[in-house]
Amino acid sequence: MSWLIRAAVAGALLHITPTVILEKRPEAATRLAPGADAFFAREVHLSDPDAHKLHEAVDWSPEDGLLTFYTGKRGANVVSAFLFVRVDTPHGPIEVAVGFDPAGAVRGVEITKATVETKPWVLEALRAGLTDAYRGLKPGHTPEGASRVRDKVGQLPAYIAGEIDKGVARALAAYGAFYR
Amino acid sequence: MLYDLRRANVSVKWLVTCLLATFGVAYLFGGWMVGLYAGFTPGKVAATYAGPEMAMPMPPESTLVVEHPMTMSAFGESDVHQVDENLLIQDTHVHVPMYGVIAGALSLVVLGLALPKAWHLGMITLLFAAPWLDFAGMWLTKLVSRDLAFVTLLGGWAMGLGYTLVTAVAMWQMWPRKRGGTA
Repeated sequence: MSWLIRAAVAGALLHITPTVILEKRPEAATRLAPGADAFFAREVHLSDPDAHKLHEAVDWSPEDGLLTFYTGKRGANVVSAFLFVRVDTPHGPIEVAVGFDPAGAVRGVEITKATVETKPWVLEALRAGLTDAYRGLKPGHTPEGASRVRDKVGQLPAYIAGEIDKGVARALAAYGAFYR
Repeated sequence: MLYDLRRANVSVKWLVTCLLATFGVAYLFGGWMVGLYAGFTPGKVAATYAGPEMAMPMPPESTLVVEHPMTMSAFGESDVHQVDENLLIQDTHVHVPMYGVIAGALSLVVLGLALPKAWHLGMITLLFAAPWLDFAGMWLTKLVSRDLAFVTLLGGWAMGLGYTLVTAVAMWQMWPRKRGGTA
């Protein structure tokens, strides 16, 4: 009967979606703001009209109307600003970290979270050079990473690349409208 | 009684045993996953489903900016698995039907157990109420109060209890043991 007791203990179930951390946030922060020795969080609490404007632009509203930008500084100089954006897909959420250089162009994109199901698709898209396609984009530009890698990857990685495009588009819109 | 597992064909008994063992494995790994991604205390469940406590529960009249220093360890804290409303909608849609199927399968086993009718009704109610409590707790934690995270834990333990009861009684009644009576 002991296995039954063990099952009962472990059976204290609550459902959770199995997220996989592809890159820890501190590591992503270091990569997106290389050389920064201090970090700051800028929390932008959106008013209803501003939240609506963002939703109209990219069909997305941040959770609780809160956008959090992070700024990496070296001394008094800003090295980079970045934010983490979640994209909900039918296969679970992915989290996209988008960093901007001081000129306001995308410095880099990191995928920090995926799910057990989407992880291999994300990794294949990354191996095909997906994030290179975002470098240099500025607010107002349209991310086209999926179309860049479509010929090099399978159908599902190409699909997930389209979802990552959405995350980058959201970051571009949020940064363009609310960071400065 | 619809059927009696004590007198069922050995193939039926074996089917029920395999079903219960499979559910047991799933529950063990479910418990492991809960430990990895959420935790077994009300505080950890609240952190997963309610998220960080909001300093500003209502949207401001005009957009408001607050800036503060961040440490690397604070970045690490953000890696806590969180389930927001959209994801919880998706989870509820996908998983409640599956929980229903599992409760239904266990209830079919219950119907084959030689127990008083009240026990049948009670165990079937427990099997279905557990996942309801589980998801009700998640939604209450998110929408009403972090203090209600215990409802989710209650649902989880109820699920474990229901499975254990069904499995223990089924094994006891189905398979021969060294005792005076027949199996």
